[in-house]
Amino acid sequence: MSASDKDNKFLKLAKAIPLNEQGPSGFSKRIMVKVREQNSRETTMADERFLRFARNISENQHTPYKFEKRIMALVLDWKTENPFTVWSRVLWRAVAPCIGIMVLTALIAFNQDAPITDSQPWLSMDNPEENFEIDTTDFETVMLASFDDLEYTW
Amino acid sequence: MESTEILPSDDLRSDEEIVAAVVEGEVDSFEELILRYQPRIFGMARKYFRNESDVEDVVQTIFTKTFQKLRSFKQTAPFEHWFMRLSVNTCYDALRRRAKHREQAVTDLLFEDESWANRLDNIPDSDDPEALDKASELVHSVMGQISDKARIVLTMQELEGRSIKEISELTGWSISLVKVQAFRARKEMRAAVERFLKKEEKL
Repeated sequence: MSASDKDNKFLKLAKAIPLNEQGPSGFSKRIMVKVREQNSRETTMADERFLRFARNISENQHTPYKFEKRIMALVLDWKTENPFTVWSRVLWRAVAPCIGIMVLTALIAFNQDAPITDSQPWLSMDNPEENFEIDTTDFETVMLASFDDLEYTW
Repeated sequence: MESTEILPSDDLRSDEEIVAAVVEGEVDSFEELILRYQPRIFGMARKYFRNESDVEDVVQTIFTKTFQKLRSFKQTAPFEHWFMRLSVNTCYDALRRRAKHREQAVTDLLFEDESWANRLDNIPDSDDPEALDKASELVHSVMGQISDKARIVLTMQELEGRSIKEISELTGWSISLVKVQAFRARKEMRAAVERFLKKEEKL
């Protein structure tokens, strides 16, 4: 057998061996750990560089000319408030108590279901609770009495 | 540059004394407080706002709010703490209001004259206003990409060197919230820096 035949046989044998593509177990994980380490080192470097840079910028405390006068002008302007503004603020504050009184009065009015007879005295001295029970027609008559009298003057 | 008026040491009243005087009706004394604190407040506001008119607006809001709320200041804690807390919260509110207008594409924030990476390596000289301005532009471009809460925490923790407890006291947020925001801030900042560097590499 010539030397070239031996070479060919060897090559044939070598080619016949199936390719083993299997890597060691956990190999990819091992590589990824190294990749991540390198990546984090690079990114840490970038953000550390940025922070070092930002920390070394001296603080600019420059103040605009007469800035304090501007603020004082605003402050003094508030101090001398428009009386109408104060009045409207007070009115707004009165809204809540007024609504409260209105609701309370309405509730009291609706809860008065007991009818009042004409024979009932206007003011009972024996039972003061009855004093609140005033007939509406009587009340109206009393209220408009002065206007009724006015008609007779004509 | 406007220098702050410095009163002779004998005439210096404490913050609390000035506050008491203002509350009692001596409104002009409030100017003393403004003069005392305005450099610090301008310095702080410039960390959060790039535009000078925004800085002035927020500082003005801080002082006017302080005047309005002066009566609610209890003399149990130093005025400085109360005032700084109010200032930080006002800055945070202003940042939140501006959040809508803030979004900008990364490419819009890249510089034409100099690469981003180069600027990061050149720490500016404090005597060079132009370099300082450029540096501030870069810092604001990154900080503008971070959420408002995280930005407040990052600025105070990393740039001013404050502790978590101090930040919690200044902001009124719980310690755990500050810790979460600090972690998030670093993550967001890292992502923003990377985005800028990568975008520049591609161009």
